[in-house]
Amino acid sequence: MNVRRHPFAASVSLLVLLFLWLPLIVVAVNSFNQQTIMAGWGGFTTHWYGLALHDQNVRTGLETTLYIAVASALLSLAIAVSGALWWRRASPKARAVYDGLIYARIILPEVVSATALFFLFLKIHFTLGLTAIVIGHTVWNSAYAAIIVQARMAGLDPALEEAAADLGATPWRTFRRVTFAALLPAIIAAGLLAFTFSFDDVVTSVFLQGASNTPLPVVILGMIRFRITPEINAIGLLVMLFTVTLMSMAVLIYATAGSLGRRGNMLDIYRGR
Amino acid sequence: MTDAAVDISRVEKRFGDLVAVRDLDLRIEPGEFFSIIGPSGCGKTTTLRMIAGFEDPTTGRISVGGRDMTGVRPYRRPVNTVFQSYALFPHLDVFENVAFGLREAKVGRAEVRTRVDEAVALVQLQGRERSRPRQLSGGQQQRVALARALVNRPEVLLLDEPLGALDLKLRTDMQTQLKDLQRSVGVTFCYVTHDQGEAFSMSDRVAVMNHGLLEQVGTPEEIYHRPASSFVADFVGTANRFAGRVEGVEADRYAVAIDGIGRRTARGPAGLESGAAVLVLVRPENLVLNGSVGDGGLDAHVVDTAFLGAERTVRLHSPKLGELTATARGSGEPPEQGSRVGLSWADDDAWLIPAADAAS
Repeated sequence: MNVRRHPFAASVSLLVLLFLWLPLIVVAVNSFNQQTIMAGWGGFTTHWYGLALHDQNVRTGLETTLYIAVASALLSLAIAVSGALWWRRASPKARAVYDGLIYARIILPEVVSATALFFLFLKIHFTLGLTAIVIGHTVWNSAYAAIIVQARMAGLDPALEEAAADLGATPWRTFRRVTFAALLPAIIAAGLLAFTFSFDDVVTSVFLQGASNTPLPVVILGMIRFRITPEINAIGLLVMLFTVTLMSMAVLIYATAGSLGRRGNMLDIYRGR
Repeated sequence: MTDAAVDISRVEKRFGDLVAVRDLDLRIEPGEFFSIIGPSGCGKTTTLRMIAGFEDPTTGRISVGGRDMTGVRPYRRPVNTVFQSYALFPHLDVFENVAFGLREAKVGRAEVRTRVDEAVALVQLQGRERSRPRQLSGGQQQRVALARALVNRPEVLLLDEPLGALDLKLRTDMQTQLKDLQRSVGVTFCYVTHDQGEAFSMSDRVAVMNHGLLEQVGTPEEIYHRPASSFVADFVGTANRFAGRVEGVEADRYAVAIDGIGRRTARGPAGLESGAAVLVLVRPENLVLNGSVGDGGLDAHVVDTAFLGAERTVRLHSPKLGELTATARGSGEPPEQGSRVGLSWADDDAWLIPAADAAS
């Protein structure tokens, strides 16, 4: 019997698609809805977008979020790249510990690491706010970045760096012209991914934000607590488009970068090589 | 006396407890096609990597062109390497791969262009300058690797099994091309391979290594016909060996008593003393098979024959000498299996090896 064509599989797929896409479609449609209570279609308008873009709370929220996302992405890349450089020369034991720490940061529920950081910062009298949020985001963001950069590093033939040295390149020039150049697609992809994760984070931000500095996702959360307006739909669609674009870029850059040297990259595994 | 292209003096290399190369003395002359051969793990690649500067000798000294290379980093050495995996830069096209060394040496733009064009023409890859390495065949990649190294006009070109990844036909073509190329550019080549046929066909001189020790250095003919040890004799071809004892020295020849068949004459290295235990070596192609039993009274019966095209390998069993291998011409009728044949060899075709080496 063909499992894929069984009526049960078909109805589950349909439900998944429905629950995944229907809310998104509703959000998209309502963002252009003139009717404030959104009970029905009241005609087309872009009024809510104007409102959203001029809302001072939204604007400062967006600024805060962008600052956090950029800072956290850059910090995560610095950790991931230097970690990957160390990783390839480390002993198997040290590698296992390092990998374990990466997976721990991904598996650990976000609320746990956020609470832990919250208490830690209180204990050491570290002021909650922007820096605290950046550190909190970097905890898991650096783990995702490390996995992507390391996968590319593993495919890098060490003979390439020897070849560069053999051709007269100093260690710094070798790093720039060979190692970094080979890692670049992974670095860009990891950076975009980290930026996106940070951009729509709520949990860590709520715990660590302190008195002011509310990032956009937390602003949105606050808004729907009081009233649901079509303005939120407009913000939602804009955020959605932005993050989807970034993610697509990350995937595209990584996919078109091609394989390295002898062992290839993560996508080769995906292709079943 | 001119400076050697490469002078390796009392070099030892240890990795922890493992001694990869021990007490190595080697001199490579300018303009020479020099090969180092040996089984995997014999220390040949380590030796090459020490000349390139990727490994430092634990003790001893390496000079290139008369200059001591101790403490000189790979990017400051006047040598270039062709890697076994080619190690072409995947993110650069053929032109930029070849130009890599020139750009590091801050060569002017116009000169980079002329020299890269020359190098690309030398390896017949005109028109592929803008291709990425992965768009090229194995043989083409190999030639890019050669051009990338030669364009820097190194004093010595180091080649680490550069033909290992190619199929047999292409490998044979590339051997001819490499030899022609080396003659035309006049650069000293130091070539590492485990394939003795490859080394013999191209090299002026060959060094044979085993377990980190240099066994013998010489022309391919010397190494094949006058091996210094049992290991060398086996590594570069098949050898029939008979145990014996030196009975006397007559000019450049030795009288030797071979166990089971008595006194014969053979050539050997200088300095063997009367009474010394030796192995007598006869190459399969020098064992002559006769229809009738020879004058020495030696005979054998044919165990098996294998047809290889130009020649035939004949496995024999002799009551006095045991298992033997002979080579016969591939044309004509093969010796019949089980038949009895006479055996003989010319005195000049028998070569002595000191039996002290027989254990290795």
